[in-house]
Amino acid sequence: MTSYKDKIQISVAGEELSASIVTNDIANNFFAHRRSGRMALFLFGLIFLAGIVAFITKAMDGFDSSQRANWGYFAALFAFLLSAAGSAPLVAVGFRMTANHWRRPFARISEIYAVVGLLTIVCLMPLLALLPPIGDCSSGPCRKTLWFTSEYWGVPTFWDFAGLLALVVCGIALLLVSALPDIAQISALSESKSRPLLSKLTKFWTGTQSQWHIHRISLSLLGGFYFILLIGVQTIINVDYVMSLVPGWKDSILPAHQALTGIQAGVASVVIVAFIARTFGGYKKYFPMESFWSISKILLALSLLWAYFWFAEVNTLWYGRMPVEQNILKLVMFESYRLPFALNFSMNFLLPFFILLWNPIRKSVIGPTVASILIVVGSFFMMVRLYVPAFGIQDVTAFQITYVPAAIYPDFLDLIMIAGGISGAVFIYLLSTRIIPILSLWEVKEGLLYQRVRPFLRGEYQVLGKPK
Amino acid sequence: MAKQHKWGMVVDIDRCIGCQACVIACQSENNVPINEEVDFLSRRAKQWIRIDRFWEGEYPNVKARFIPVFCQHCDNAPCEPVCPTYATYHNDQGLNVQVYNRCVGTRYCANNCPYQVRFFNFFNPSWPESLWNQLNPDVTVRSRGIMEKCTFCVQRIRRAERLIEGQKGEELTDQKIKDGNFMPACVNACPTDTLVFGDLNDETSEVVRKSKSDRSYRLFAELGTEPSVFYLKKVDPAAKSH
Amino acid sequence: MYEGKTYSNKQINDDLLSSLTKSSLVYWAIVGTLGLIVLVATVAVAFMINKGLGVTGLNRPVMWGFFITNFVFWIGISHAGVMLSAILRLSKAEWRRPATRAAEVLTIFSLMTAVLMPLIHSGRPWRLVYWVMFPYDFQRGIWMDIRSPLVWDPAAVNTYLTSSILFVFVALIPDIAIIRDRSSGIKKIVYSVLSLGWRGTTRQWKFQAIAGILLSALILPVFVSVHSIVSWDFGMAIAVKSWHSTIFAPYFVIGAVHSGVSGVVSVMILMRWLFGWQNYVRHEHIDALGRLLLVIAIAWFYFLLMEFMFGIYGQEGDELATRHMQLLEPPWMWFFIVFIITAFLFPVPMWLFRRVRRNLWLMLITTISVNIGMWLERLLIIVPGLARKQVFTGTWYTYAPSIIEITIIGGTFAMVLMLFLLFAKIFPLIPLFDIKEGQVLQDKIKVGKAEIPAVIREE
Repeated sequence: MTSYKDKIQISVAGEELSASIVTNDIANNFFAHRRSGRMALFLFGLIFLAGIVAFITKAMDGFDSSQRANWGYFAALFAFLLSAAGSAPLVAVGFRMTANHWRRPFARISEIYAVVGLLTIVCLMPLLALLPPIGDCSSGPCRKTLWFTSEYWGVPTFWDFAGLLALVVCGIALLLVSALPDIAQISALSESKSRPLLSKLTKFWTGTQSQWHIHRISLSLLGGFYFILLIGVQTIINVDYVMSLVPGWKDSILPAHQALTGIQAGVASVVIVAFIARTFGGYKKYFPMESFWSISKILLALSLLWAYFWFAEVNTLWYGRMPVEQNILKLVMFESYRLPFALNFSMNFLLPFFILLWNPIRKSVIGPTVASILIVVGSFFMMVRLYVPAFGIQDVTAFQITYVPAAIYPDFLDLIMIAGGISGAVFIYLLSTRIIPILSLWEVKEGLLYQRVRPFLRGEYQVLGKPK
Repeated sequence: MAKQHKWGMVVDIDRCIGCQACVIACQSENNVPINEEVDFLSRRAKQWIRIDRFWEGEYPNVKARFIPVFCQHCDNAPCEPVCPTYATYHNDQGLNVQVYNRCVGTRYCANNCPYQVRFFNFFNPSWPESLWNQLNPDVTVRSRGIMEKCTFCVQRIRRAERLIEGQKGEELTDQKIKDGNFMPACVNACPTDTLVFGDLNDETSEVVRKSKSDRSYRLFAELGTEPSVFYLKKVDPAAKSH
Repeated sequence: MYEGKTYSNKQINDDLLSSLTKSSLVYWAIVGTLGLIVLVATVAVAFMINKGLGVTGLNRPVMWGFFITNFVFWIGISHAGVMLSAILRLSKAEWRRPATRAAEVLTIFSLMTAVLMPLIHSGRPWRLVYWVMFPYDFQRGIWMDIRSPLVWDPAAVNTYLTSSILFVFVALIPDIAIIRDRSSGIKKIVYSVLSLGWRGTTRQWKFQAIAGILLSALILPVFVSVHSIVSWDFGMAIAVKSWHSTIFAPYFVIGAVHSGVSGVVSVMILMRWLFGWQNYVRHEHIDALGRLLLVIAIAWFYFLLMEFMFGIYGQEGDELATRHMQLLEPPWMWFFIVFIITAFLFPVPMWLFRRVRRNLWLMLITTISVNIGMWLERLLIIVPGLARKQVFTGTWYTYAPSIIEITIIGGTFAMVLMLFLLFAKIFPLIPLFDIKEGQVLQDKIKVGKAEIPAVIREE
């Protein structure tokens, strides 16, 4: 079997590569500061600033829990950033755990999303102040919450904040640990003394076997923690900021559904950045078709899962015909917020499903990218249809809602805030790519060790190594 | 053409003394088998109408509260959509009817009834021979393996329609139901007029008048089952003084 | 991760077809005992149908009991087949190969058993058979009420059963052809008919492969729908608050996969011992299944927490009473403690260790423990929910099964095992062609001085 000459290629159709080619390629790309990059950084920074200004202007009008109806869109923005950016690192975590080779080019792209967590923390802080008090059920009106009672210390604001903080810290630690070998190599390659901090940080990294061993273990531990923390944070955020604000809404799948939508949006945002890096970033040969093909299968599966969770929710709530459940369905889906719902449903399920249904489209670059853009936008509308109505309800301590509240539309400042928030996320992401290369050097090079292309009859086939 | 009826009931809790006369009347009218001690102990007793008793207050000021519960003939009955064989369905007179022939005994309807008023025949029913002639010929004896429940004595309603609307061609008014004794057996037997039966579509009837009382409520209204049975709250003079 | 030896095709045939030709005394003793239990259970069913459901422990609040619990349990076990075969086939997991056939066969037999449960559990089974086989009251134009989850249920289960049988059969054809070539007389004729003229041409292999992949993809929605619909038998009920939970569908599906994959692992280990297939069911396979179980169990636990948390979230009297019954009232609290330990706290931390995952005895114990727990889980959902239905406290009660119910439940377990063992007498329990294919796709890569096992990737 080994009598043939093996070729080191990422895929059958790809070019022959070697470790030194990879290092040179990625380093050259990393050091080449393009003008377009600077322009983008400047532009997104500007919109981000505008968003901050809009936030301050709006906060001047009034900022306490009785006026939270005005802040629904801000909450939706926060939830969207948490979902899309917070879940993105799972691409690296999950598929590193299952040792899939196709994840290699996506890994760093997804991990860098962890830095957007800094922005979500900043966004959460004002929201904590907007949350109405739980109240004491024994002596007066109270609302139902995940925490059952307000007697415990720090309920719910402290725990929400602590959970998110832990998530972000864990995410950034994951990014730094994962990028450590790459930063070390990059700072070794950099001629100027412009990166003294980074070289100091990575001085101890020499790439010994035991270091790699620790590296691998810490990655899987941090990844496991990150996954559990993410699901936990999504759950408490969803219950505290959506369900417990709507009296009578008892919907056990909703937190899981938000977490799932987050994962869907996270994978999609990774695909979008991968598309940009492949098309405009000069990394074309590192993204074999198999990577896009495989991740689009994941996207398809997640879209189907999204529809399944949605149907499990709707079917159960609708079938019983209980007035309160009917009102809630009308509120978040079929009457007041039917426009965001229609957009959410078609962009998270219908359109991606029909786009990704065909194998030729899955096996392309543009197909999954289009589906991903739809999914990310759709996820935003999901958060709109959940958080805005929840923030719009005033009588949170009632037994059930007996009416269908009208929809709240965004005003100009809301729109600027949304644009600013999303630009802020892009801005932070772009900044980080100036420190950390967007393609993982070590993971791509590790992949070269395990992937071979061998000739067979008239064609060639790929052999994937499965180390223990 | 006779107008469309929608049968309903009003239960005035304030009048109920918990005498169980309605339970016995129902039992003999509808061929419900005799419940023995073992049936009660194993929770298989069949009482189409039951009187739930609650204790209120602390000793020595304890009060017994009675509430007669029977099939509420919900307009939006939870038991109906879950039956796979249409054995229970809503007829055009607002009655939730049980078709014994169709029933296969999945017992899903009983699970989905919030009022716990559906009864399953765990065994074939039996009566002592001395009571065989007592059985009502208008009512089917249900075999084992099927569900049964209060029908608002549909056999009496049908007789009223046959006699008054069919033979005489007159309108079936509230008064005529009372005069002809066409009310369900429990209403008949009630010594305190706790139970009032009538046509909810007839604006002049006593049921409609009473159901509009400010004491009126319906059991588990928040479930949205839209029952045809209205309850009137207990008038508690002591409660006012508190 | 290929750790076994490489065998010639003839050796593989001889080894894996040994269950058809040779049978030990132990085998027949087991089958005989199981058959006896099934017989006793059949008598119990006949007695119950003759007397009426009063011979069970069911009562007015608790209208569904052991039988429905058992129904949900066996439907759950049946989820392993597709989970392993279809999903792992689509995701090209190499370690699936020896597990697929056993999982699929377990699916079929457990589904058949599961279908029996609601049949005998209904008040008038003879009527129900008539209604399931032929549309009810055909002449009068009265059809089944498609609004009822109990109509969705047989539709989904029957679809699943049909497609699973197809799935198994498509994978069996090449193996049947081998048995045909090795048998004579009347057996040869039967296997010839069953093998559908298989000669192993390229064209036939192509069709067989496409049919396998297509069925895998098409069976997935059925697989998810079956247990979702079973969960909606409960979830649709508004009167039982602890059942009326939106998370039920995914919760039941993941729970089913949890118990089903555990069941497959138990069966594989038993199979390895009974038929001496040490070289085919290897530690690496059990290890991989153990890792899969770990992920599934943690996901399942999240759903369990959600279900429980939202039970208390509403703070409604009857719902709290249900949880109180589950957690604090004996004997249910003992069941709950046993459930949480056997289904999660005991096996899952153990699976974290590679040593445990590679120890057959421990894997057998942990996987059987999961299924004890999962059986109790269904019981704890069904009975306390019904026993504390709504706030009419006077109707609250509990439930104790009768000896008839216990006998029948025992009979179902015996029946599945018996059918499984009898299947091994007629068809191979490990797909021959899949094992051979796996051998062909093995390769090695040289990295530095080391040689690591590798897999050839088909496009």
